Amino acid sequence: MSENKTMNMDEQKKKASSSLLKKNIRKFVNNKLAVIGLVVVVVMTIVCIGGAIAGVDYNTPVLTSMKKPPSSQYWFGSDTIGRDLFARVLFGGCYSILIGVFCAVMSSVIGAALGAVSGYFGGKVDMVLIRISEIFQAFPQLVLVMMIVAIVNKRGLGNLLFIFVITGWMTTFRMVRNEFMSLKNETYVKVCEAFGMGKSRIMFNQILPNVMSPIIVSTTTNVAFFILQEAALSFIGLGVADSTPTWGNILNAAKSLSVVTNQWWIWVFPGLAITLFVLAINFLGDGLRDVLDAKQQ
Amino acid sequence: MLKYILKKILMMIPMLLLISMIVYFGLQLTGIDPINFMVSPEMLSANAGNVDALRESLGLNDPLIVQYFRWLTNCLKGDLGYSFSGSSISSIIAVRLPYTFELAAWSLLLSAVIGIGIGIISAIRQNGIVDYVGRVLAVLGQAVPQFLVGIILIQIFSIKMGIFPSANRVSPGAVNPVTDAFMHLFLPVLTLTIGMVAVLMRYARNTMLDVLNSDYIKTARSKGIPEWKVYLKHGFRNAMKPVLVILVFRIPMLVGGSVVIESVFSYPGIGLTMTNAITSGDYPVVLVTTLIIAAAMLICSFMVDVLNALLDPRVRLGE
Repeated sequence: MSENKTMNMDEQKKKASSSLLKKNIRKFVNNKLAVIGLVVVVVMTIVCIGGAIAGVDYNTPVLTSMKKPPSSQYWFGSDTIGRDLFARVLFGGCYSILIGVFCAVMSSVIGAALGAVSGYFGGKVDMVLIRISEIFQAFPQLVLVMMIVAIVNKRGLGNLLFIFVITGWMTTFRMVRNEFMSLKNETYVKVCEAFGMGKSRIMFNQILPNVMSPIIVSTTTNVAFFILQEAALSFIGLGVADSTPTWGNILNAAKSLSVVTNQWWIWVFPGLAITLFVLAINFLGDGLRDVLDAKQQ
Repeated sequence: MLKYILKKILMMIPMLLLISMIVYFGLQLTGIDPINFMVSPEMLSANAGNVDALRESLGLNDPLIVQYFRWLTNCLKGDLGYSFSGSSISSIIAVRLPYTFELAAWSLLLSAVIGIGIGIISAIRQNGIVDYVGRVLAVLGQAVPQFLVGIILIQIFSIKMGIFPSANRVSPGAVNPVTDAFMHLFLPVLTLTIGMVAVLMRYARNTMLDVLNSDYIKTARSKGIPEWKVYLKHGFRNAMKPVLVILVFRIPMLVGGSVVIESVFSYPGIGLTMTNAITSGDYPVVLVTTLIIAAAMLICSFMVDVLNALLDPRVRLGE
């Protein structure tokens, strides 16, 4: 009898969650911009990765065809030393998207973990962590990155990823910390404490799921942020090494006025790629926020 | 209130010290030897004894902590030291900091006026033309990289139309310094403003909408107060508080952006100085420029705190 009852409850729970999921999916699908965003993000990612897997040649300069405008042979034209720009944009996309996704996810993980600890324990731990985040925040991220590039004195993908992650966790940290501050006084947390549940289990299994929605939304929009940041840094010549193409790195060629004037395709295509991708991510993020943010419902 | 402000100011000092230490010791890790910049390689190998004496006289053999405090006392006395190329950093900063300040201040002012203006009009005339155009611009302004906006503006206004110069801050032989400044500032300021406006506009619109839907606006209307007065006196004033905070909060973005934009327009401000110093390994300059920017950031976050405390008594009472 009692077994029957629990099964019923489990089923009910399943049903309830699946109907919430269904409701959310319906809500998301109704938001046309968000769906377009999702489609663009997925398509661009697949095309870039597909190009990389197919092994398009992005790195061999063909000196006889320097600065060729777009044609059937070179879809996006060729760059100043005769490399196929279409292949470079595809490969660059792989790196740019990788940088965006990796840094957004990792900085969210770090921010969420530190924020959870800071908000749940409060007191001295909180004060120290807040001070540390303030020191990081005192620098504009770009300047901090530039300083670390100066210290490490080497430009590489690994460095950039590391720098972005350690300089990008503060916003998530603040948000998660504030949520934890208010959630830790809720009854369900008190109940878990009364049952003697371990602190880390309360923090990560009980409270954290309730903060997941804003974390997911901010991670999505952060992908766009990091892609733009990398592009800016590579543009001023302090990003990834020149041998690795990224969208920003390709745009670096547009620092020369003669390229801006005479070879529009060199900066228009990678510029369009960044803009389109970031636009799509922002639409997707807005759509997710509408679906997930309980306050707006 | 005074106590709150004093406390915040006093807290900035240890933060600045800590940041200066991190930057100072961090830059020592680069392993760049200043002697290499001062003495040519042939001299270096020939006069090993002399080089040692030079090193000793410059105090480069002292422990790092001693060097740090010597540098710090000099800085506090107003002597920022010399760049590796031999020019006094104080004089570089004295020329270039005002340029960056000009750029940032104009962008901030313009973006505040335009962003808040369009935001409020689009809230009042919701779904009107201004609202529609504003929303498209806001979305685009956040997606197009700022430096690309700069390149496009150069392409249109400098190359195609030839109205504005594409680089520098002062033209040689300029007759009227004010028009000259305007010509050089226009494009970089416009570029920075476009990025800032996008965010501000969205925020001002949403806040104003929230306010306009609140009960006291309905009360004001039902009392028969003229519509413009409802918007300006009742709506605008209340909507502005959070928008002001966001505006100050955006200054770090402005500083970060100006580093890149100065590079696009070869605008000789602090950002370009820092970028060039990093590429050439001139770390005394990197040190000072980084600290200036960090100090600017701290002052901004101090301003946000004070603004918040002024607008919301709970903040200062809670401390």
